[in-house]
Amino acid sequence: MNPEPFLQLDRIIHEKGRLPIMSLLAANTEMSFTELRDTLKMTDGNLSVHLKTLQEAGYVAMTKSYLNRRPLTTCALTPAGREAFARYVDLLAEIVRQTKSP
Amino acid sequence: MQSDWAAENLQVIRTLMERSALYRRALAPTTLLAGGLGTLGALAGHKWATGSGVQFCLHWLLIAALAVSGCLLLMRRQALHAGEPFWSPPTRRVVVALLPALVFGLALGLGMILAQAEVDVVLLIVFVWIGLYGGALHAAGFFMPRGIRLFGWLLIGGSSAGLFGVILLEPEGAGLKLANAIMGVVFGLLHLAYGGYLLVTEKRRPAA
Repeated sequence: MNPEPFLQLDRIIHEKGRLPIMSLLAANTEMSFTELRDTLKMTDGNLSVHLKTLQEAGYVAMTKSYLNRRPLTTCALTPAGREAFARYVDLLAEIVRQTKSP
Repeated sequence: MQSDWAAENLQVIRTLMERSALYRRALAPTTLLAGGLGTLGALAGHKWATGSGVQFCLHWLLIAALAVSGCLLLMRRQALHAGEPFWSPPTRRVVVALLPALVFGLALGLGMILAQAEVDVVLLIVFVWIGLYGGALHAAGFFMPRGIRLFGWLLIGGSSAGLFGVILLEPEGAGLKLANAIMGVVFGLLHLAYGGYLLVTEKRRPAA
């Protein structure tokens, strides 16, 4: 089996906590911090750490604003994040295909 | 096996992407509100109907406007309570799916008012409205987790049967009272029953 696709997997996305975040953001134009936290059942601290990693990699953009005088943090994938996620999914599919082919 | 975790990761991605597209705010309050207004509307129509098709259309368009406004206010309240934007992507998908059939229903009602509709077409209007509402629910059901699509199909089936019944049987003297009763059962009692079911079964979940 060719190990090349596995070696090419993006290590920032290929992590138990960050893959679900990227998946949710890939399906939506944007999501609030609370939506992400509640959907993924993560703690505030855990989610913040993963979002910071993704933000530093340039995959996620975070916007802070106010909604009815309460702070609202909105997260969205950047074009680079969307591209990296698409590449990651393609590589996973490639790995599955390689193993299934005789 | 390397392919096992790869396939599992792909499955996780697919499930999360599908789940995040669903509207998950509690439906019981909005369904009960719509049902309550539908029932009150039918009782009011039954008590004060004067025998005019125009008045019937105006009456029910007003009830629909109240129900839609009330439901939007409830949804906004749920969003504020959860500290989330009201116009979230799942909310937008549901509203966009509902709109075409509801707009056509509104156009039909306004058209009938402009045409000074007679009482004998009121039953036909009722069944077309129910069918359109069923279609709207069915479309929105693609973005909702519960049995909304089935509810939509039930309404479409019932309205189709009713439409054929009116055309084939031409019920004599079946005017506003029957029309109001059908509207009351469909938009009132059915919604109250469904809302009650949701109230019992819906768990307190995070909004989306």
